[in-house]
Amino acid sequence: MESAIRKRPLLITIICIIGFIWIVFSLPAVFSPSVKKLGDWYPALFGLIVASSFIAYIGVWNMKRWGCSLFIITFFIKEILLVLINDINYVGIVVSVFIISVMVAFYKRMDMNL
Amino acid sequence: MVFLGLFRESILFALNALVVNKLRTFLSLLGITIGIFAIITVFTITDSLEQNLRKSVQSLGDDVVFVEKWPWTFGPDYPWWKYINRPLPDYTELDNILRKCDGAQSAAFTINANITVKYKSSSIENVTLVCASHQYDKVKNFEIAEGRYFTDIESSAGRPVAIIGDVLAHSLFPFQSVLGQFIKVNGAKVMVIGVFKKEGESILGGSNDTQVLVPVQYARSLIDIRSENLDPVIMVRAKKGITNDELIDELTGLMRSIRKLHPMADDNFALNQTSLISNQFDSLFDIVGVAGWIIGGFSILVGGFGIANIMFVSVKERTNIIGVQKSLGAKNYFILLQFIFESVFLSLIGGVIGLLIVYVITVTAGDTFGMEITLSRSNIILGFTISILIGLVSGFIPAYGASQLDPVEAIRAN
Repeated sequence: MESAIRKRPLLITIICIIGFIWIVFSLPAVFSPSVKKLGDWYPALFGLIVASSFIAYIGVWNMKRWGCSLFIITFFIKEILLVLINDINYVGIVVSVFIISVMVAFYKRMDMNL
Repeated sequence: MVFLGLFRESILFALNALVVNKLRTFLSLLGITIGIFAIITVFTITDSLEQNLRKSVQSLGDDVVFVEKWPWTFGPDYPWWKYINRPLPDYTELDNILRKCDGAQSAAFTINANITVKYKSSSIENVTLVCASHQYDKVKNFEIAEGRYFTDIESSAGRPVAIIGDVLAHSLFPFQSVLGQFIKVNGAKVMVIGVFKKEGESILGGSNDTQVLVPVQYARSLIDIRSENLDPVIMVRAKKGITNDELIDELTGLMRSIRKLHPMADDNFALNQTSLISNQFDSLFDIVGVAGWIIGGFSILVGGFGIANIMFVSVKERTNIIGVQKSLGAKNYFILLQFIFESVFLSLIGGVIGLLIVYVITVTAGDTFGMEITLSRSNIILGFTISILIGLVSGFIPAYGASQLDPVEAIRAN
């Protein structure tokens, strides 16, 4: 019964696969010269965001609520940081909001435990 | 409090696992060490080169315009046959600029020649003789460590006085005071009245350390100052509040009127500024930075896969222990943290070793090449960040897998 409830929906699977691919491309971008030019601590901050997103996707892949919560927190931190460096990406916001909506839609079917 | 205790215990478990498997730990952290070493070395070298270049450009003066025959930047459609017939900047043109240019704070005429300097039996060849008009100290950035600059009379009357570089002073006068001594420049006796402050190798060349500066009026008796080989330049520094572009506009009009150019005729002079050099180098450093980032990125990626692999092996190997821990009441997050710490420590140690190697190289290479190479704070932070990030990302999946194991099945596993 429990496994039936927590069976991963196709939409979540697609989002997670795209998310993992995005992480693979974002990881080297963290220490790119352009991010380094922003300031000493920006690679660390962007690195933290990418790592959190990766962990969040693993959580969502395993249908865990903490994955969804971590993704939302990471999204807000990322957007605050982008506002601070004046690099707001509206397409990115729309995509992230869509992903969050999908995750929230399946939130009740997700497991509360770690 | 309980959480903190478990947190501490999971760190100790992780450290113990690393200590017990020394060879495996060493081999798996090698990947990260090489990756961090590759990427931070490239960033350190490019940063240091850029810093040295900017310092060299700054010593030329970023608010100085150079009136010359040849432009500094060459385009693909560079009409060299037009430029070759241009007249050279002349000392008389300096007078006109000083009198008529409102935007100029100061200006100086300089020529350079290669000479041999002698003092008693000591002789140094290939020394750069800089012959400059009086306001040279106001357009060129330099400091005098000992002695003084030329007086107005010494410059205008062309007295045989010189300011020499630190390297020359130490080579010619190793055990005595240099001020007031007479050196021979192209056979003529010249009194040393000052020594430049040591500035080290310049990436653009032309370091003061190996130069002899004399008044241009005196140089007339030593060399033919109208010779094209002497690279004559009029350096003009902008007044405060006047931009380089404004000064260039004014100088263009002034030089055209001095040279009596027809309104439709092309300029027969070049007005150069240091931003032309720095802009050229900016794009070069961007390319080198991206190349280093790609090479280092792949090394790091390989190192990350190595750590992920070793963590999967580690989980598999300790499945029984995980089962025992869980059956004794260990929480999932305790197991998770234990393996995450192990992978982060592994990666961090690799990163620290990589950074240490880079540091040793910067110290030895700096001494060897006589160039300042520094491992900057931003690169150290970057090295630590990459290490932690790779450890976290590559260790999370094996750690999460371990935390989700069923205790009964884990104990039964071989």
